[in-house]
Amino acid sequence: MKRIDCFKVMAELAGDALVVTGAGANTVEWYACRPGDGNFRVRTMGLVSSIALGMALGLPHRQVIAIDGDGSLLMNLCSLPTIARKNPPNLVHVLVDNEVYEASGEIDTATGAGTDLVAVARGAGIRRASWVNSPDEMRTVFSEALEARDATFIGLKVERARSEVPPYPMDEVENKYRFIRHVEQTEGLSILSAHMPASFLKDS
Amino acid sequence: MAESSGPALIVEGLKEAGVDLVATLPDINLHAVLERVAADPDLVHVPLCREEEGIGICTGGYLVGRKCAMIMQNGGLFNSVNGIVSTLLQYNLPLLLLVYYAGDVGDRSFATNGAMTQPVLSALGVQHFILRDPNEAKALIKRTLVLTQDYKRPVAVLLTKDVLGRRSPGE
Ligand SMILES: [Mg+2]
Repeated sequence: MKRIDCFKVMAELAGDALVVTGAGANTVEWYACRPGDGNFRVRTMGLVSSIALGMALGLPHRQVIAIDGDGSLLMNLCSLPTIARKNPPNLVHVLVDNEVYEASGEIDTATGAGTDLVAVARGAGIRRASWVNSPDEMRTVFSEALEARDATFIGLKVERARSEVPPYPMDEVENKYRFIRHVEQTEGLSILSAHMPASFLKDS
Repeated sequence: MAESSGPALIVEGLKEAGVDLVATLPDINLHAVLERVAADPDLVHVPLCREEEGIGICTGGYLVGRKCAMIMQNGGLFNSVNGIVSTLLQYNLPLLLLVYYAGDVGDRSFATNGAMTQPVLSALGVQHFILRDPNEAKALIKRTLVLTQDYKRPVAVLLTKDVLGRRSPGE
C-alpha cells in the first residue's frame, strides 16, 4: 500500500479539519493531496500527536488529524496514554508505518522487528485502534473515525517509497502565522495582536 | 490551607492572566498547586506522562487560540529541551513555564538539578524569574505571561519551596 493513496481518501473526507504532520514525506505528500493553510508541519521528532492533541483539546468542536510516523511515535509513546486519558472525540491519530526512519536514511525502526503500534495504542487505553490494509478500507474506517465519540488511532502499513510531489513551500514561522490566521478566519477568533504605544491604550 | 497560600496565589495568578490550558507533571512539592489546577472547572488540565509532550500540547493549544502554561519540576524542564528548541524557539512560540526549582539554596532535593537549572535556561535564551515571595506570585505570573507573548519565546518562573509552602527536613 502506498501512503499517498490513503492520503487521497483522507483528503476527500477531511473537509476543513486541522492537520498536523511530521516527517518530510508525510508532510509533502499530504500537502499535495490537500493544500491550504489548515496544515501544520512539526519539526520536533515525536511531537506530531502531542501538538494535535493540544489543538483537539483547545478547539473541541473542530476536527483535528495527526499524521504520524513510526519512528516519530516510537520516540513519544507516552503520548498514547495521554490521548487515551483525555479521549478527545475530535482527534484522529493516523500512523503511517513504513518500518523505517525514512527521513534519516532508511534505517529500520522497531516496528519491523515485531512492535505492533496499534496494539500499543490499544494497551495504552485507546479503544478505537485498528490496522487498515487498503485505501478502500481506509475510506470506511476514517469516515467512522470522523463521526466517532472517542479518539481514534488508525495504523497504515505502507511501502518504503516516496511519491513525486512538490517540496513544502514555507518555513516554520510562515507556517505558524498562516495556520493561526486560518484558525482565526475559520473560527472567528482573534489570536494574534501587536502591542501598541501607551497613547493608544484606554485607561487600564 | 489558607486561601492566601502560595499554591492558591499561583493558580489565581494563572487564571487572572487568562491561562485556560495547563499541562502538568507531579512533584510532591507541586501537590497543592496541581490539586487546585485539577479541581478548577475553568482550566483544561492535561496530566502528562513525560514533560516534552507538554511542549507539544501547549503548542497545539496556542495555535488554536488558547493561553497555555506548563507546571513541572526542573528535571521535567531538562526532559523538554528538544521540544523547547526545535518547536518553541524554531517557530517563535510563547509559553509560560512554571518550574519547581528543586535543589535551590535551602532546598535539599536534587542539588544537581538545582545547580543546572539557571545555566540551562540561560543557554536556551529562556528568560527566567525566581519567585520567592508568595505575595508576588500573582503579579509575576501575569507579567510573565504578557512577556512571553510579546517576546514570542518561552519564559520561565522558578517556583521555590518558600512559595510552594514546604520545608526540607532539618531546616
Ligand atoms: Mg517511518
